[in-house]
Amino acid sequence: MKFQPDIGTPIPRVDAKEKISGAAAYINDIDMPGMLYAKTLRSKMAHGKIIKRHYPTLPEGYAIIDYRHIPGTNIVKAIYEDWQIFPVDEVRYIGEPILLVVGENKDVIIDILEAIEITYEEMEPQFEWIDSVIHYHYEKKHGSRPFADANRIIEHTYETGYQEQAYIEPQGMIGYLDQDKMTLIGSIQCPYYVKNAVLMALGWENERVRVIQAHVGGAFGGKEEYPSLIACQLAMAVIQVNKPVKLIFEREEDIIASTKRHPAQIAMKAAIDSEGHIMALKVHVGIDAGAVIGLSGVVLSRAMIAATGAYTIENLDVTGDVYRTHSVPTGAFRGFGAPQMMFAIEMFMEHIARNLGKEPLAYRMAYVAKQYDLTATSGTFRDPILMQKMIEEAMKRSRYEEKALQYQNLHRYQGIGMSFFLHGCGFTGSGEATTIKAKVRLRREASGVVHILIAAVDMGQGVRTAMRKLVAHMLEVPIDQVIYDLPDTDCVPDSGPTVASRTMMIVGGLVARAAQRLGMEPQIAVEIEETYHQPSEIQWDEARMQGDAYPAYSWGVNVVEVAVDPVTGEVSVVGAWSVYDVGKAIDTLMVRGQADGGLAQGIAYGYLEVMRHHQGKIQQRNLTDYIIPTAADMPPMETYLFDNPYAYGPYGAKGVGELTLVGGAPAIAKAIEMAIKRQITKIPVTPEMIMELMTHGED
Amino acid sequence: MAKIEWMLNGTPISSDIDLSMRLLDYLRDHQHLKGPKEGCGEGECGACAVLIDHQIANSCLVPMANVAGHEVVTIEGFAKTKRYQIIQQAFIDCGAVQCGFCTPGMIIATESLLHHQPQPTISEIKVALSGNLCRCTGYNMIIEAITLAAKRGRGEW
Amino acid sequence: MVEARIPHSLQEALILMSQATYTIVNGATDLLVQKRSWSGTIPKFSQPPLYIRGLKELDYICERSGMLEIGATTSLETILHHPKTPKILQHIILTMASPAIRHQATLSGNIQNASPAGDSLVGLYLLDASIVLHNRHHERVISIQDFIVDVRKTMREADELITKVVLPIDKFSQCAYTKVGPRKTDAIAKVAFGGLIDIENDRIRDIRIAFGAVYKTVLRSRKIEESLMGKDRSAVPEMKHVLLEGYASLIQPIDDQRSNRWYRKTTALNLLEAFLDSISR
Repeated sequence: MKFQPDIGTPIPRVDAKEKISGAAAYINDIDMPGMLYAKTLRSKMAHGKIIKRHYPTLPEGYAIIDYRHIPGTNIVKAIYEDWQIFPVDEVRYIGEPILLVVGENKDVIIDILEAIEITYEEMEPQFEWIDSVIHYHYEKKHGSRPFADANRIIEHTYETGYQEQAYIEPQGMIGYLDQDKMTLIGSIQCPYYVKNAVLMALGWENERVRVIQAHVGGAFGGKEEYPSLIACQLAMAVIQVNKPVKLIFEREEDIIASTKRHPAQIAMKAAIDSEGHIMALKVHVGIDAGAVIGLSGVVLSRAMIAATGAYTIENLDVTGDVYRTHSVPTGAFRGFGAPQMMFAIEMFMEHIARNLGKEPLAYRMAYVAKQYDLTATSGTFRDPILMQKMIEEAMKRSRYEEKALQYQNLHRYQGIGMSFFLHGCGFTGSGEATTIKAKVRLRREASGVVHILIAAVDMGQGVRTAMRKLVAHMLEVPIDQVIYDLPDTDCVPDSGPTVASRTMMIVGGLVARAAQRLGMEPQIAVEIEETYHQPSEIQWDEARMQGDAYPAYSWGVNVVEVAVDPVTGEVSVVGAWSVYDVGKAIDTLMVRGQADGGLAQGIAYGYLEVMRHHQGKIQQRNLTDYIIPTAADMPPMETYLFDNPYAYGPYGAKGVGELTLVGGAPAIAKAIEMAIKRQITKIPVTPEMIMELMTHGED
Repeated sequence: MAKIEWMLNGTPISSDIDLSMRLLDYLRDHQHLKGPKEGCGEGECGACAVLIDHQIANSCLVPMANVAGHEVVTIEGFAKTKRYQIIQQAFIDCGAVQCGFCTPGMIIATESLLHHQPQPTISEIKVALSGNLCRCTGYNMIIEAITLAAKRGRGEW
Repeated sequence: MVEARIPHSLQEALILMSQATYTIVNGATDLLVQKRSWSGTIPKFSQPPLYIRGLKELDYICERSGMLEIGATTSLETILHHPKTPKILQHIILTMASPAIRHQATLSGNIQNASPAGDSLVGLYLLDASIVLHNRHHERVISIQDFIVDVRKTMREADELITKVVLPIDKFSQCAYTKVGPRKTDAIAKVAFGGLIDIENDRIRDIRIAFGAVYKTVLRSRKIEESLMGKDRSAVPEMKHVLLEGYASLIQPIDDQRSNRWYRKTTALNLLEAFLDSISR
């Protein structure tokens, strides 16, 4: 056998050079002969009945596309099918797309848009969280019954705001007819989501829709379900004009109209016995879906399942509601419900300890989950849990104890916070087995070149490099013998969406199995297919939310250190340390890239990124007002990885992408608590909030 | 419409053009130079950055009138230099590229910085990158890449 | 129809402006944001733009008879690195946008823009800057405080061009500037505070205090400043309360998407208090 370095040893990213030189073609870099442009007319009203539409007479070559052009179903195929492609007679949020204007000259398109008159009858918008459209409930062991015997009950409510994905490349897509095949190229995470949505909207047979990925300039969940809407609209336009059509969002319309992270309100209640132990938790998770339910039910269930974070609590009663309002729809965003919940449980554990007069760190450590503990949904943590060692490592690297002692005792407006967390890898529950049914193929040509045929999208996380490395390593061939083009649904099977920290663990696991079989195949030119099968020990009862919600979990510890300016309430992030168990890193440098970037988003979610709506109108409408960190805002970050191979992951790999985001907000919020010696129950912790807390807040 | 004389990627050019056209649109739509990207259209993100007389500028906020008499270099033009090769390799080695959409702008920001300050400190690098948003990396790997490029390229700037 | 123009000399610019009303475009970093339409279309100006950024005769910064003169087309980055630039102005420029913007943007553009959150204005108010305007026939000089009359409103007449900014070169023993923005760099101010003081033998020879983003224009009160002139630095602590109240009654911030009234006012007064505390120390 040839000498092979450890799989984790970094290699150059396969697409680095084309990206650095600007040659990589993102969707807006692609032009086609005869291509037209489309622009969207959007609702200016949060809730209204469309009484009349006045469309101007159109010049030759221009078209208006609305609900009347939908040959199939006026619904975007997603988990919960309530997203209309175009509204018929009622608008339900500001920014809702009503129609497209399509044509060659952008100035003419603008003139047409300005000449269109939509007459509305204003209807009462609902912004309160009262219209529950999905309600879930589960219990663990005795549920909330121990509350009757509690010595003390501690309760706090936690709130989190919107977060915008703020990928630097806005949403965009090009559609065209290739013979009679509807072809869509786009900035997308999930080629088959787009394909299936367009199929349903057109009512066409399977072979007549083809979806191709362009280079994706960041996604973070924002290009999971949302591009399906754009694709359906664009497909209608393409049919009407029979020419290629390009639809690229301006930054402002991307911010006001595309999905964002669900705002949440999480009520936590603990039953405490006479010795100060937690007997039971009662949790209610409320999330704001905006005007469309879409993925909200799945977001809610992931949040609810994460109710105890990285801890084991014996008895649980967890309920949750998705509320529909007349505000912008919320949807997928890296972490998918977990960041909200992780903030709530991490702060609550800290607050329980403080309320009981106990040392928070020791108190929390006592509840950290161990192997064979029951999960919140009464499944089992089957694999080893390294959290004790990881926490020790994080504390050593950050000098946590020494700093915490110093900052707690001196009033110098410095603080250090540590979060413990986990993230379930792959789809929740039996989603992988029942809904996704991932399929992968490897094809070896007579020349020996191997093609990886999967629908996974490289949106910056480096999956194209990682998959090629994986196969090359397993087959012991040079990486340039392995090909992995941008996915095209005409060429690759449906290996599922690029979401839920599933790509390396689930899809990579299948690819590794296929590679193993390929390695043993005597014939050179051959194709190998692998399909997902749920490990038999994993059982999930969807209706009762009981059992193993995920096949595996990744674990993490974040430490964040801050200094607060008492004059202005401004926070400086001084340092950040992370320890992760992602099973096995397929490339340590790329994992670090995920770690740094995820933590930056998580920290910023906790203290920097403010987005609110006023009467349904998003107030921060561009990158001047929606603030994401610059280089000057981010501290140096140190990341340490613990190997803990997972049996079904390739080389033991588990999920990475989302894990790195979920612990940032509680870590910085705890650090700020220490710095200002006030209790924090809301993120983002803005200077405005800090000033308010320092003036009026409680210890 | 008016005629302006300027330099683009080392070539003198004379354009009969609407003076208010954004340089970004001219580069992308008229010259098919797609390296400069549009991320926000208002000078916040830096994805559209180009060099004007060796200094970084946001091409989305430069009207064609303002390039008259100046030298504009895009990532495509800069890619022909040895300095680019050094920066490129440092970005690869440090894992500074993820989705890549901000990357050409980051390279331009690096060149603009090193042209004026060949051995920058970390805080000078942070100032130099302050108009270039990246949502993928958290910036540290980019900062490391620039530090490495400065070290490897000693004498080139 | 009058068309967009690039004048080749100041003289030509002034002649054009005497014949028609133009929108003066200098560095364009603010105007192109305001006038932008759909990507790929030409920004829409209601009046034809006059592109003056290329006027070389206005691109200078130099000392002349004890004053620092800054031509209208000098970039912020050039001003930042000039050895004669007052320290406070350097501090301020470093907090303005990003290097890419600073290479294009100009001081006179920031002045003409007259935003309550215009960063450089705090410095110009503190330094008692004068604005020099030319039209085809004459020149006039107006103090910055008189020049800016309201939110985005100035004294400039349609045929006038800001040609330079003139700063007296004064000596200060201490200068303070804080811009409170939503992040460390590349941000619009929620509150800005600037203070200049010159102390000789423990006496306050000169003191100047200005606030940005808490009033329709930069806020500076000569009356309050005068109450401190000539005082011993040790007298500041006992005056502090009255001074804070004085400014508190003048500060009138707004609620918007970036911050709120209460925070702006509280922070502005905190910054003032920290500055006053530093005097007696």
